[in-house]
Amino acid sequence: MEKSEDWRKLSRRQFLKASGAASAVMGSAGLGVFGYQAGKDSFSYTGCESFQGQAENFNRQRFAADHATYEKVGVASRVDARTEVIFSRVSSLMRQWDEEKGLDSLDKGLQAYYKKHPYDLKEDLHARKKIFPKRQKDEIKYKKKFVLAKAWSNAMSAVWPPGIRETPERYDFPRGEQYGEPVEPLKMKSPEKTSQLIKQISYQLGSTLVGITKLNPDWVYSYPMWGRGLNPELPLEIPGHWEYAIVIGTPMSWDPMYANPNYGTSFDAYAKSRIIAYRLIKFIRQLGYPARPHTPGVEYDLMVPPIAIDAGLGEQGRHGVMITPELGSNFRPAVVTTNIPMKTDKPIDFGVQDFCKTCRICAKNCPSRAIPMGDKEVVRGYRRYKINSSRCYNFWYSNLGNIGCRLCVTVCPYTRKSNWLHRTALEVTANDPSGMSQRILSKMQKSFYPAPHPQEYYIPSMGGKNESYREPPWWLQTEDFIDIDI
Amino acid sequence: MQFFTSGFFWFIEGIFLCLIIIGLKYWTEERNIPMPFWKWLVILIWILYSGFTIAFIGTCLGENEPAAALKGGMLFSLIAIVSAYGLSRLLGFFRLTRHQPK
Repeated sequence: MEKSEDWRKLSRRQFLKASGAASAVMGSAGLGVFGYQAGKDSFSYTGCESFQGQAENFNRQRFAADHATYEKVGVASRVDARTEVIFSRVSSLMRQWDEEKGLDSLDKGLQAYYKKHPYDLKEDLHARKKIFPKRQKDEIKYKKKFVLAKAWSNAMSAVWPPGIRETPERYDFPRGEQYGEPVEPLKMKSPEKTSQLIKQISYQLGSTLVGITKLNPDWVYSYPMWGRGLNPELPLEIPGHWEYAIVIGTPMSWDPMYANPNYGTSFDAYAKSRIIAYRLIKFIRQLGYPARPHTPGVEYDLMVPPIAIDAGLGEQGRHGVMITPELGSNFRPAVVTTNIPMKTDKPIDFGVQDFCKTCRICAKNCPSRAIPMGDKEVVRGYRRYKINSSRCYNFWYSNLGNIGCRLCVTVCPYTRKSNWLHRTALEVTANDPSGMSQRILSKMQKSFYPAPHPQEYYIPSMGGKNESYREPPWWLQTEDFIDIDI
Repeated sequence: MQFFTSGFFWFIEGIFLCLIIIGLKYWTEERNIPMPFWKWLVILIWILYSGFTIAFIGTCLGENEPAAALKGGMLFSLIAIVSAYGLSRLLGFFRLTRHQPK
């Protein structure tokens, strides 16, 4: 009997010991599969769950600050959209430039700008004289590879609300009962409830993040762009009803975004954000209030990133792009200006300034060397990293894939999908005032996530290999679907 | 495969962890290894760290980042192995003689 009890006791112990060992093996295997699933899971594509507002899941209250993390150091001057916005400047230069007449062939505003910034003239002409011929030569040989990427980009921008051709006084205001838009504003119960409503409607329209702020006049252009219903020859007087700015936006599709500069496209998020903005102005006008959209591609009366920063969506990074906690730099915003009374959001400080100071991954990976490695400079009265937009734009135009580059967005350590690993890293860096975790994580990023040499992103005629940061997703690999010789 | 990202998966993992601790308890009793509270705490931290290492490798592979899986996996695994050896010495796992049952 005694012997039998000993045997049973021993057996139970042995059984539990064996169970413990087996559990260690099975638990480890389970964690491995969990990790694999978490990495692959389509729900880690932040923004895929839009329409419910669930993607805006970073606790901003903890990081709310009284002032945005940009620093005002002098008298601010507003941006002249005709010359200081690269798209407008280069477009005017291309239209007006005559090789024989030189600077005299340009209008007075452009002449004055280039006399003050001769380096920009050299860079802006470089695209026309040197890059275009080389690109044309390479296009014949290599562009077939990007057929699906271009088709996808064009499909995304096929639905595109038409731009504004009227002044704010005419365009922004409700059109009357025949459009279902009351001329008198409806009385809203409280600014808090209106904010809540506007945010929920924006989510329902598909916005991934939404922020509201009072419009800082420093961010409105001093002279407007062409094609906004305003006369670019006259200074832009800020209309009184541009009191608030609602910032909405969406991310670019994640897998193509990692295959920048060739396979990603800004136009997927551009089109979505634009459509949301135009729908939102309709909603606000139906409440009887004026509203005006400022949307991608290039149809703005103001600078969007600092407004989005004021609205508490993120902070500006070294690459000049706003970094949000949820999407990193992968966020394409649009703004709606209005005067419907709303409660505003506070800017946030979640450690980006300290991170960017030492990280420099975007600057090291930038093919055009447009992002500075050094410190911030004073630009129009604000201390910030000064981007060489001419060099950046030149690379855009050398690229054979979808127009643009977006590599700084792609390589930014904050631009990671939403899974346990990257959320943990985000929370650790945001909550570590010592900066040690930021240094360790940026070192890990550099060593764990290899990237091609920046020169390899260029076209072959310019000494490159048409490289992309990562392989394109299966659905953009032309050679797998179309019978053409690549 | 939604199971692996569900709450039920973590429930099962919790059961596995309990079984590991029970098994370890019997193993240390057999060897007459004293197990004060701090030793259990250190072991628990090591188990969680090892779990992180395995999940990190899996996540990087799932994200199609094999270089991160390899480099990070090697680094974290090396730390796990070295710390396991260090811990076994510190906790006296292989120092005392095995208990002989009567």
